[in-house]
Amino acid sequence: MNRRVFLLAVPGLAGCYRPGGARLNVLNWSEYVAPETIPDFEREHGVRVRYGVYESGEEMLARVMSGNSGWDVVFPTSYFIQPMRELGLLSRLDKSKLHYLEQLAAPFHSPPWDERLEWSLPYMWGATGILYQASLDPPVEAWAGLWHPRLRNRVTMLDDPAEVLGACLKKLGHSLNSGNEAELSAARQQAVAQKPLLRAYVNEIVRDQLVAGELLAAQVWRSTAMRAMEAAPGRLAFSYPSEGFPLYADNMVILRESGRKDLAHAFLDYLSRPKVASRVAEVKLESTVNKAARALLPERLRNDPILYPDAAVMSRGEWFQPLTAAAQRLRDRLWTEIKSA
Amino acid sequence: MNRLRLWCLAPSASLLALLFLIPMGIVAVYSLMTRGPYGGVYAPFTLENYARLVDPLYLTILWRSFLYAVISTAICLALGFPLALFISRSGNRKNFYLAMVIVPFWTSFLVRTYAWMFLLRDTGLINTALAATGIISEPLTLLYTPFAVIVGLVYGYLPFMVLPIYATLERMDRSLVEAAADLGARPLDTLLRVIVPLSAPGIRAGSAIVFIACFGAYLTPDLLGGGKTIMIGNLVQNQFTAARDWPFGAALSLVLTGVMMLLLVPMIRSRKEGLL
Amino acid sequence: MSRWLSLYAVGAYAFLHLPLLVLAVFSFNASRFTAWEGFSLAWYREAFSNAQLVESSVNSLIIGAAATALATATGALCSYGLWKRRSAWISSTLYLSLVTPEIVIGIALLALYQWMFRFLGLQLGMHTVVLAHVMFCTAFVVMVVAARLKTFDSSLEEAAMDLGATEWQAFLRVTLPQLAPAIISAAMLAFIISFDDFVITSLVAGVDSETLPMVIYAMARKGFNPAVNAVSTIIVVALGALILLGDRLNQQ
Repeated sequence: MNRRVFLLAVPGLAGCYRPGGARLNVLNWSEYVAPETIPDFEREHGVRVRYGVYESGEEMLARVMSGNSGWDVVFPTSYFIQPMRELGLLSRLDKSKLHYLEQLAAPFHSPPWDERLEWSLPYMWGATGILYQASLDPPVEAWAGLWHPRLRNRVTMLDDPAEVLGACLKKLGHSLNSGNEAELSAARQQAVAQKPLLRAYVNEIVRDQLVAGELLAAQVWRSTAMRAMEAAPGRLAFSYPSEGFPLYADNMVILRESGRKDLAHAFLDYLSRPKVASRVAEVKLESTVNKAARALLPERLRNDPILYPDAAVMSRGEWFQPLTAAAQRLRDRLWTEIKSA
Repeated sequence: MNRLRLWCLAPSASLLALLFLIPMGIVAVYSLMTRGPYGGVYAPFTLENYARLVDPLYLTILWRSFLYAVISTAICLALGFPLALFISRSGNRKNFYLAMVIVPFWTSFLVRTYAWMFLLRDTGLINTALAATGIISEPLTLLYTPFAVIVGLVYGYLPFMVLPIYATLERMDRSLVEAAADLGARPLDTLLRVIVPLSAPGIRAGSAIVFIACFGAYLTPDLLGGGKTIMIGNLVQNQFTAARDWPFGAALSLVLTGVMMLLLVPMIRSRKEGLL
Repeated sequence: MSRWLSLYAVGAYAFLHLPLLVLAVFSFNASRFTAWEGFSLAWYREAFSNAQLVESSVNSLIIGAAATALATATGALCSYGLWKRRSAWISSTLYLSLVTPEIVIGIALLALYQWMFRFLGLQLGMHTVVLAHVMFCTAFVVMVVAARLKTFDSSLEEAAMDLGATEWQAFLRVTLPQLAPAIISAAMLAFIISFDDFVITSLVAGVDSETLPMVIYAMARKGFNPAVNAVSTIIVVALGALILLGDRLNQQ
């Protein structure tokens, strides 16, 4: 009997373990802060930050969707904001606690997914493009290039329905955010036609494979490309597809379940400071939304044509928009069809 | 008699009621509800989710998962039975050999899956070895193929086949085996006609566990399959995350469980003996 | 035939151990690529200094130990109780919990916790994970112990009771020792299942209860990082030593 009681007590003890002191629980994309970002914040506010990471938007959503996950701040991509709002997961931002809003570059102080910045604060923005072996001749500069037989079995696409359908839609000359059944159906056909050539639908892991030469080309997020090119200087090249490409922003939000909203706002504010933001942009090799932060970047990054492309290139870019429920449903179904084809 | 039984069964009864029956009940209720415009579950009760399932798309996925599971289970059985037999015959080194089966599997399932990603990639050890011995000139594509998925499944669940079979063999009446030998049966005959039938409960248990795990597998096709093949586990997971369609996911879950039940319960409960 | 069997066993063990041996060997590789570039302990340094890896390993061990203890006790007792007299609803529910895929159990538990916490104001954490693990491990324990009980002679207990023992004493002194190997086997199985679990854990884990599989999944999705090799080698060696020690003690 005594042994039994003891055994019952163990999980109870495990559950009671709670380190002392104020805490903030932040869930972010992996490798999305500079090494000193979190420790500096902890020191400044005398708090401990539990910093969790995820590799995909779906993973993040799965972890916070219970509404009692314990996280305070997360970083959803723009097209997750409206669904998260509808699911009642977000808490309204108190702008009086955020001091760097004027520093936001042009499209970001009134972005299409949250026009009055009531729920989210933009953090970094990115794009999707093509990373390929520089030795390829001719270079891969359009989505159509990823359907070319010379890439058979050495090409990958992202494991993300919005990205894959987006690329197909762009290849056909339509909008990324199309909800039109005919257009989406045609996009699906393109994706299915590509499948025999495709090695896999994968995300970050292609970086190692491209650097090792196992792959010839891949649809990648720009930050993946930047790091791959850094690891293999001169051997890899990145292109913004000529038919058009997606633009998106990762945003900071405070979850409604958070019991530490003041501290959470302080954290958001901290990350918006020019110096902090510029360090993150430097380490992650991503584009900051903060004008002052950009000015603080080292020369080679401040005007990097890939990170801050000129107007001609940007005009080809299209922001991901939230979709209607019907469009979302249709795309889900098409994605299932593509995957099981 | 009754009080002892009560004490024995009370903990599991309450555990199962609270942590299984009630949650599954909630899922059943969800499956009859409607999806909100951006997720969540709302009141209008409907059978629409089940109606949606009768669609060649989902049936194909179900069939493919079934196929992978059957193949993996069969291979596990073929590999696991002889190993269990070997261990049960190794006298006083039994625990050591058993531990040697289990110790590698004390690392996470994910580590074992990752090990195969590491081995099977184009610049991985297998391709390097094959190239070094001149057997191939171009690396074979081993990763992100159905082959990789099956290898991953077999490797991941082999101990769950070995342990139950071993447990049954352990307590097998040796005198029956000796009797067969005395009657002049060759070792192979003894194996096939005495040992295998006697280890039937273990075989059934092991096969059932492995089949269930493989059928509902989601990580292995995800990591080793390169996301190109969608199995039923991936489909269900997708409904609860990216697609945010809890009601449909719930319906899918219940149907999946139902299919499993239909396939397996006869197997586990044959001849009125039952497994439990 | 035992010669063929031994030969086969060598092959089987090679198959089982080779991938992990390869991981271990390459955990000492100076380069992060698959070409051997020299011996180095750098990845081990990285593994130990990676707070996430260390913490999640500890979490996994704690959860595993707690869940195994509870599941083995509950499951063994349940199995014995069912053997004495059947209970249709418990057996059926156990079957059902075995055939239900992990993803479904995970979602069901998440739904339960969502509702419970709405009223109790609790959050996901170690306790939610341990409870979930106990739930799905118990059925496995019951199955393994039941398989053993099937060949157990009930007249032994009856004889003990005829000689004056109470039911409980008969169980403790006669049956339990006979069941011990099966219970240990079941406990090992339960620990493996709990330690291994990713799908259910990732759904019900909270902020402080990240487990090793969750961390490794994140790392594996990102790329090929030899620090993962280092961690797995450490775990296999540590736990292997533990088992062999336990085995040695057992034999005395």
